[in-house]
Amino acid sequence: MASQQSASNHSNRRHKHEGRQKHIVAFIFSIVLSLIAFAAVASVAEVNATFIIILLLVMAVLQVIIQMAYWMHMKDKGHLLPVVFMLGGAFVALTCIVMALYWVWW
Amino acid sequence: MAHTAHTVKRYTGIMDWLTTVDHKKIGILYLLAGGLFFGIGGIEAILIRIQLIKPLNDLVSEQSFNELITMHGTTMIFLGVMPIIFALMNAIVPLQIGARDVAFPFLNSLGFWTFLFGGLLLNLSWIVGDVPDAGWTSYVPLANTEYSPHHGVDFYTIGLQISGLGTLLGGINFLVTIINMRAPGMTYMRMPMFTWASFITSALILFAFPAITVGLILLMFDRLFSGNFFNVALGGNPVLWQHIFWIFGHPEVYILILPAFGIISDVLSTFARKRLFGYSSMVFATILIGFLGFMVWAHHMFTVGLGPVANALFSIATMLIAVPTGIKIFNWIFTLWGGSIKFTAANLYAIGFIPTFVMGGVTGVMLASAPANFQFHDTYFVVAHFHYVIVGGLVLGLFSGLHFWWPKMFGRTLYEGLGKATFWMFFIGFQLTFFVQHFLGLIGMPRRVATYLPNQGFDTMNMISTVGAIMMGIGTLMFLWNIFITSRQPKNASADPWEDGRTLEWTIPSPPPEYNFKQTPLVRGYDAWWKEKMDGNKEMTPAEPLASIHMPSPTILPFFMSVGLFIAGFGFMYGRDPFDNAILGFLFNNYIVSIIGLGITFGCMFLRSVNDDPGYHIEVEELEDKGGRG
Amino acid sequence: MSAHGHHVEGEWPHQPENATLEGRNKVLGFWLFLGGEAVLFGTLFATFLALRDQVGDGPTAAELFKLPIVGAATLILLVSSLTSVFAVQALHQNKVKDLIKWLIVTVLLGFSFLGLEIYEFVEYIHHGHNFTTSAFSTAFYTLVGFHGAHVAFGVLWITLLIIQVKKKGLNLVTAPKVYVSAIYWHFIDVVWVFIFTVVYLMGRVV
Repeated sequence: MASQQSASNHSNRRHKHEGRQKHIVAFIFSIVLSLIAFAAVASVAEVNATFIIILLLVMAVLQVIIQMAYWMHMKDKGHLLPVVFMLGGAFVALTCIVMALYWVWW
Repeated sequence: MAHTAHTVKRYTGIMDWLTTVDHKKIGILYLLAGGLFFGIGGIEAILIRIQLIKPLNDLVSEQSFNELITMHGTTMIFLGVMPIIFALMNAIVPLQIGARDVAFPFLNSLGFWTFLFGGLLLNLSWIVGDVPDAGWTSYVPLANTEYSPHHGVDFYTIGLQISGLGTLLGGINFLVTIINMRAPGMTYMRMPMFTWASFITSALILFAFPAITVGLILLMFDRLFSGNFFNVALGGNPVLWQHIFWIFGHPEVYILILPAFGIISDVLSTFARKRLFGYSSMVFATILIGFLGFMVWAHHMFTVGLGPVANALFSIATMLIAVPTGIKIFNWIFTLWGGSIKFTAANLYAIGFIPTFVMGGVTGVMLASAPANFQFHDTYFVVAHFHYVIVGGLVLGLFSGLHFWWPKMFGRTLYEGLGKATFWMFFIGFQLTFFVQHFLGLIGMPRRVATYLPNQGFDTMNMISTVGAIMMGIGTLMFLWNIFITSRQPKNASADPWEDGRTLEWTIPSPPPEYNFKQTPLVRGYDAWWKEKMDGNKEMTPAEPLASIHMPSPTILPFFMSVGLFIAGFGFMYGRDPFDNAILGFLFNNYIVSIIGLGITFGCMFLRSVNDDPGYHIEVEELEDKGGRG
Repeated sequence: MSAHGHHVEGEWPHQPENATLEGRNKVLGFWLFLGGEAVLFGTLFATFLALRDQVGDGPTAAELFKLPIVGAATLILLVSSLTSVFAVQALHQNKVKDLIKWLIVTVLLGFSFLGLEIYEFVEYIHHGHNFTTSAFSTAFYTLVGFHGAHVAFGVLWITLLIIQVKKKGLNLVTAPKVYVSAIYWHFIDVVWVFIFTVVYLMGRVV
């Protein structure tokens, strides 16, 4: 019993808890990626529209990957099934979007 | 978290059924409700066939005919066969994986009640008199307010949203149950095929039902709140509905058929008394079918004019599905090959399934060919095709599963002789009904038309088809009669009534106690129970010492949450209607009815969140009193 | 159905949300639900993309959308996602006060996002952009409104959880609930990333 008691007192030290730094870094990345996207749209007159759209989508996907990996802990171990099922959902969602872009108007 | 023994109110009689969170009882509820809707859908089918027994028949009007075909399809798919699949999944899957319960007993109950109240709302349309009449696919513009001005299609959109929510909850529950609740040693590649099929089906439900929910919401917004999704005048696009419907609709047919594949696999290997041939290829094929199911939706839309590239892509993708399905067919045949086969009623259905399903599959490949599809489209050839896979495949599979697991669910074995007679009546009736429809379609009889002119070569075949449909109806009645006379017999089924049981559900009493397994079994291989039998063991090795078992408390909240959704749906439907009665007008036109309904639902959700369920414990003494193997 | 996981009694586990079987079920079940939600939003995005040029007589996206307000909403939601990560860290370290503090900040940010969105919608209606104006407007309000409804549900849910944690304390029953609500909140943020990209920014480009 005594050893258990002491273990609980030191529980915070025993399992290493992650710091805040990497979440703040993820946040800064998110902000920067968003800023790039907004700035690209603000400068739309000078640059080719297709390029801007591709840039916007890349920024969005990067940001989402960062947030899911760090904030939703999907990079941590024990998250195989969440990753599999989220990818499944994303895959069907992407199917719908391909449908909307190519097979609704012609 | 402490082991305090809570005394929980345990209900009896009807309250027991309204409040149960026991997956076995919920399975029985699904069976009752699914059976009821299956009966309603069956009566609609027979009325359709009697209308078509002779040319220029006027048993029902054109309007009624449209209502009958719409409600027959919708009821059978969403409210008839899916709940019966859920009945078997609830009754059997936790037992097959050696679990004491499902992962979410509360959600399981909620899923059942939302399905039931959604189904009741949909069928309320018959009483109100505004019946959905735009086909089970509810294509716009036919389904928009211009061409369907009454509330029929609203019953469709709202009823299916509510019942679809229940199905989604059920799907999530089974996924988590199968992932997290397996007994020690029950690895993924030792799971029985029915459990595997339930797993993949649940995954398909998870990814397909949100799509139809969105589709139904769009149609509802268009109809009830003057949205413009499908309103061509303001930029809407009807093809979008077709896409969304079939992005859901095609996975839906695999949601239906995969459990039947699982049932057939278990039944055939039990009664051939052989290990299932090619187990791992069966698993692989099931996953592949599930994946490809999302890639082929536009083969329902070949005639829309998506262009040669899209049509070619979807043709090829569709034909690909024949590969994993073919793997399964050969595996079943090789399972039977060289087995010492017992021709029980359950096995007759399973064996009858194989050639019938092959026929449905072959016509499927024919339809997958886009150029030929232009000829088959909207004819009885299509009707014949999908009834061969859904009735000849799924419904035979369900009958097989019901005969097979009836003793486990109810403690009584259905009469074998009557069961076999039922099989022949239903099977012959089925072939008579739908075999001729291939040819009716090929000579040009269009589907969804209330009648036909004489002397086009349609007359005799329609007559044969109707006679077959009546035989199927008699077969169903014989099955009900079998249930009735069986229920008057003593509950005397043994734990392993077929004596050749291979999987864990046959190691516990029939019907199982509420906690299923007195001690969680240790699984040592595929076909866990068969393996112990072959090693000369009389029971499973327990994986844990005998200890008290924690159970969840019964609760009425899921029932009221579903009632709330029912009321809210009803309120939205009539939100813009004029009322003679001022009070009713006030309540409906200000959406007060809907607010009350949603208030009930969210209020119950709130109560569920705030009140922790301590559950109760079944103590060791009580477990020992009950005796029996566990 | 054992309620008891394999953690040592009396010790706050490393991942309290996964310490009991109920907790593990809840977390996994919620992830699966989010997989379904991804399809739900995917279908709504598809609908929007199919109809976004169908403005009829109504205003176009380029005429309507003001970037500063969208940028502010984005910033609010991003910060709220960060604060909800901090809440989960407090949860893992069994610091109830910190947990409640960060959850309150998250809820307040959620409310301000909603306020901004309501203000934005009212503005659009003044510009003749109603739900029934065109296929574009119907699709816009449905997609963005669905996201807003998710935010509204989220703030009410997290508020309820704050009250529960205050009353019942942080334990192995409440911890999974808080964890799951944080995952939900991040998911809403992720959806918003696609909304501001696809609806607003791409609306200004084309």
